[in-house]
Amino acid sequence: MSTRLLFLLLFLSVPLLAKAEVVATPDTVQATKVQFAASNTVQVTKVQFATPDTVQVTKVQFAAPDAGQDTVQVRELQTVTVTAQALLRDQGMQKTVLDSAVLRRDVTGSLAQVLGQSSTLFIKSYGRATLSTASFRGTSPSHTQVTWNSIPMNSPMLGMVDFSTIPAFFIDKAQVYHGPGATSIGSGSLGGAIALGTGGDLPVGTSPASFARTGQTGEHAEQTGEEAGQTSEHAGQTGEDTGRRVRPSLQYVQGVGSFLTFDEYLRVRFQTAKWSTSTRLYAANSKNEYTYTNYRKKTFLYDDVGNITGFEYPIEKNKNGGFRDIHILQEFQTTGRHGGLWEAAAWYVHSDRGIPFLNVDYKDSERIKNNQNDHTLRTVLQWSKQQSNSSYRMTAGYTYSDILYQYMRMLGDESWANMVHAQSNTHSLYLRANGEYHTGKWMFSGNMALNQHIVRSVDNAIVSVAGDTTILGYEQARAEGSLFLSARYRPITRLGLSATLRQDVYGKQATPPIPSLFAEYLLSPAGNVVLKASTTRNYRYPTLNDLYFMPGGNPQLKPEEGLSFDAGLSGAYSGTRLYLRGQAGGFYSRINNWIAWLPTHKGFWSPVNVLHVTSYGAEAAGTAHLRLNGGWSIQAEGNAAWTRSLSFEQPTGAVQPVGTQLPYVPEFSAAVTGRVVWKNWTFTYDWTYYSERTTTRGAQSYSRLGVLAPYFMNDVALEVHLPFPRFRLHVKGTVRNLFNEYYETVLARPMPGINGTVSIGIVPLFY
Amino acid sequence: MIFTHRFLQPFGRAFYLSCILAWLFAPAACMPFTPPETEEFTTSATGEGLFVVNQGNFMYANASLSYYNPQTKDIENEIFVRANGINLGDVAQSMVLYKETAYVVVNNSGVVFAIDPKTFTLKGMLTGLVSPRNIHFVNEDKAYITDLYAESIAVADPITLQITGIIPTPGHASTEAITAWEHLVFVSCWSYDNTLLVINTKTDRIVDSLKVGSHPNQLLTDAAGHIWCATQEGIYRIDPQDKKALLKIPASPNAFNTYIALNGTQDSLYYIANDLYVMHIEDVYPPSLPLIHGESRLFYGLAVDPTSSHIYLADALNYVEPGHILRYNPQGELLDDFITGINPSAFCFK
Repeated sequence: MSTRLLFLLLFLSVPLLAKAEVVATPDTVQATKVQFAASNTVQVTKVQFATPDTVQVTKVQFAAPDAGQDTVQVRELQTVTVTAQALLRDQGMQKTVLDSAVLRRDVTGSLAQVLGQSSTLFIKSYGRATLSTASFRGTSPSHTQVTWNSIPMNSPMLGMVDFSTIPAFFIDKAQVYHGPGATSIGSGSLGGAIALGTGGDLPVGTSPASFARTGQTGEHAEQTGEEAGQTSEHAGQTGEDTGRRVRPSLQYVQGVGSFLTFDEYLRVRFQTAKWSTSTRLYAANSKNEYTYTNYRKKTFLYDDVGNITGFEYPIEKNKNGGFRDIHILQEFQTTGRHGGLWEAAAWYVHSDRGIPFLNVDYKDSERIKNNQNDHTLRTVLQWSKQQSNSSYRMTAGYTYSDILYQYMRMLGDESWANMVHAQSNTHSLYLRANGEYHTGKWMFSGNMALNQHIVRSVDNAIVSVAGDTTILGYEQARAEGSLFLSARYRPITRLGLSATLRQDVYGKQATPPIPSLFAEYLLSPAGNVVLKASTTRNYRYPTLNDLYFMPGGNPQLKPEEGLSFDAGLSGAYSGTRLYLRGQAGGFYSRINNWIAWLPTHKGFWSPVNVLHVTSYGAEAAGTAHLRLNGGWSIQAEGNAAWTRSLSFEQPTGAVQPVGTQLPYVPEFSAAVTGRVVWKNWTFTYDWTYYSERTTTRGAQSYSRLGVLAPYFMNDVALEVHLPFPRFRLHVKGTVRNLFNEYYETVLARPMPGINGTVSIGIVPLFY
Repeated sequence: MIFTHRFLQPFGRAFYLSCILAWLFAPAACMPFTPPETEEFTTSATGEGLFVVNQGNFMYANASLSYYNPQTKDIENEIFVRANGINLGDVAQSMVLYKETAYVVVNNSGVVFAIDPKTFTLKGMLTGLVSPRNIHFVNEDKAYITDLYAESIAVADPITLQITGIIPTPGHASTEAITAWEHLVFVSCWSYDNTLLVINTKTDRIVDSLKVGSHPNQLLTDAAGHIWCATQEGIYRIDPQDKKALLKIPASPNAFNTYIALNGTQDSLYYIANDLYVMHIEDVYPPSLPLIHGESRLFYGLAVDPTSSHIYLADALNYVEPGHILRYNPQGELLDDFITGINPSAFCFK
């Protein structure tokens, strides 16, 4: 009970940090004046609604956003009219937008860390730089759909995404859709969806198509913030001026951290008003041998006659956890003859990661190797066009992935013998066509998606009974299609209503139609208090491994079937010094035919439609920014979630009590970020909390193995931006796990104690 | 406004902001980890008592040990972590009681724990293994430990808990169960194999081998000196003298894992092929009717009390939550039903 009280008190205290005055947020289009604290901030002025769905932006200024290493001092734009389709498109949805200011806080941070701190998603992390999955509202990680520039990132074989392999620094924008809103992103999002974006390089104001494509000021703040080479010299520069010259920009960041961790990031860009090209490189490597006290082992002390006289917990190292990741992202954009925008991007990843030993493992780490080696190429080509009352987008994408999992033992002659050598190759082709049409009060959109997957999965370490090397695995191809239609209506300024319908087909089968309804109502213009509600019926069809994996695939699996409701309130207040924003809501969902992999009497695991899971709970998030005199400002952002996710059916006649919390879903979680800014200096304090989690279904309360202890985590960072005449420097020091706490996110997976990183970023000024 | 008060400028403001942050974070910033406390157990040195080895799930580190008293019907779960304050580990495979010490083999942790069977407290541990499966005691000075991947059998000293040598098993990465016959032991090669190796315990070398059905697993020696072997294809009776395997009982269509056990006098064979059957070791034909109907349950382990001939069947339910043990009298009547840990699979009578 005390934990719950503490939890509530902490969350409620967040908004109290600030007092009255300003309104401003990167994604508040309704604001007539958008201002942040004096330095490292964004200022957007005179943003007005011309009609309920049209915004007039007469002037926009960007003043050194706190995006981290890549900033622009001041940029003043022409007056542009923005069709605020985004307002209609997102009405009624529960959505969190993470811009580059949030994503680029730390060059060593993965997307898993950012999502854990900045949203109510639960990140299940198996260790530092080890498999990290994200789940919404008590669902499973494969219920979280992830896209990059509109093409899916979820593995067609596994269904999930490992967020530890996505460097947050590489992503320009992440839109997190909670619950029913996720159906607009793609199929199978029973929990939610995360739309990641890179690109958007063409200068704001010179490409109305580019501007209107997103319709959000926040995104443009971030886009301009990217234009690292620009300075106040360009204030007042018009679009025509920028169109006549090629502007290069460059950014380099290096991070050095504990456990021999090195991160490098380089971005080179050239752009005019007509085209832009960008190349990003990111490399990370670490020995990752952190030391920890192993509380799951004991070293006994003996007397002379062999009696145990005491014990100590051994100090051990994280074994076999080293990693080396390389990312290369090449993007190109240009405007076409008739106002269309062409964008091409290719993202190559090579990741070689050890799979760390459990802390209950007594094997000799020198004689065992367990690692995963991935090569992934994602490419996307997109054409989009924005007209006064319509927009179109065509996307083609291709993804190739080669994943090799090896488990090897050392032979006497120091050569290695495979125990497991499992390799999978995936080719996926994606085609998308989107169209939107809107009138003053209506917006209609359609989306057609076609996917073709070809996969091959083998384990060739198996030797047959006859003594031959044999191949255990499968080869399959599957075509998938999806049609999405929506109608959105805003009869009066205060009221918005939406209905969407999706239909999925996979192979020769089809899911039932997926309808969703959304509504929002502006309760009070003062404080921008909006009531939102939505509901959807949703389906997720089985992955290729679910159906065909050898051994164990189950071709008889049915799609998982979900029904979700959510409702919530959001509001914002702004004055000249204070900005407050908050949202809170509740959700309820039911998932039938939940697919779980269970061991079988045949000696291997197999997926079955076993469970009926009911989830309900509440989520809240708040932001408070207060600007003080003398260049000071204080900012606080927080979120909290209460999640009950209960399994209500037993698969095989069990007599255990039903309705127990699903494994690894914390009932309570919270995160708060506090920030104090003084001129060019920023001090940040990140705090996260997770209540206890069960490790297995039906875990008994007395169990020592079935329940993991709650934990708090504290990180601090201090950073400074140093402007020099020819370049800018950004220096940041981060300390994680400040109090050197021992904790486990997953049973027997050791996490690092106190550790730190120092990063230095440099942006040369070419003008 | 309080922030502009002269007493708060300029350092006072920073102090005030720091206070806010400190108030916000400090009270709940840290939650020291507390290692598990230990409990004291006292059970009799001999007499009835049954250990249940709960495998747990692979890579979940949730293996556990349970202790059941058939007289009182009391069950104590997770006794290893409760008695010792540390986890049993990842995938507990088997347990053997030898000379007042119980040896628990924990497969994916690569360790054999030696515990006191009365108090369940740790006496020591044997490491340096790859993927140990079963331990077999040749004598007081020598034990063999089979391995899933090592392509060898480890020879260990049960007193010092040190590995003293290996028996190479070329071409057979997986070695599983061991049973003794005179000065020889028979070893099943389980994973993707169909071989039984014969090892001379005096020389610690392979002296012979024979083929049986695929995936040979359990091995038992009965009172008449036959060796029984459970495989995926059925149960074989082997004459250890001429090393010929005769398929005695074909596997049932759904019985991938066939389990076998002998009673205390080692003259009755119990086996699971969906249902539980019992037959005399010299019977020519297997019984047509089961003693206990499985009733669509998929049993995960079988044991027969050497004293009372009570039958223990492990029901792993859905394999991810605590399993059940069903206890029957020799007539097949249910006497008790108790909950253990996840995937109860092996038994060890005190």
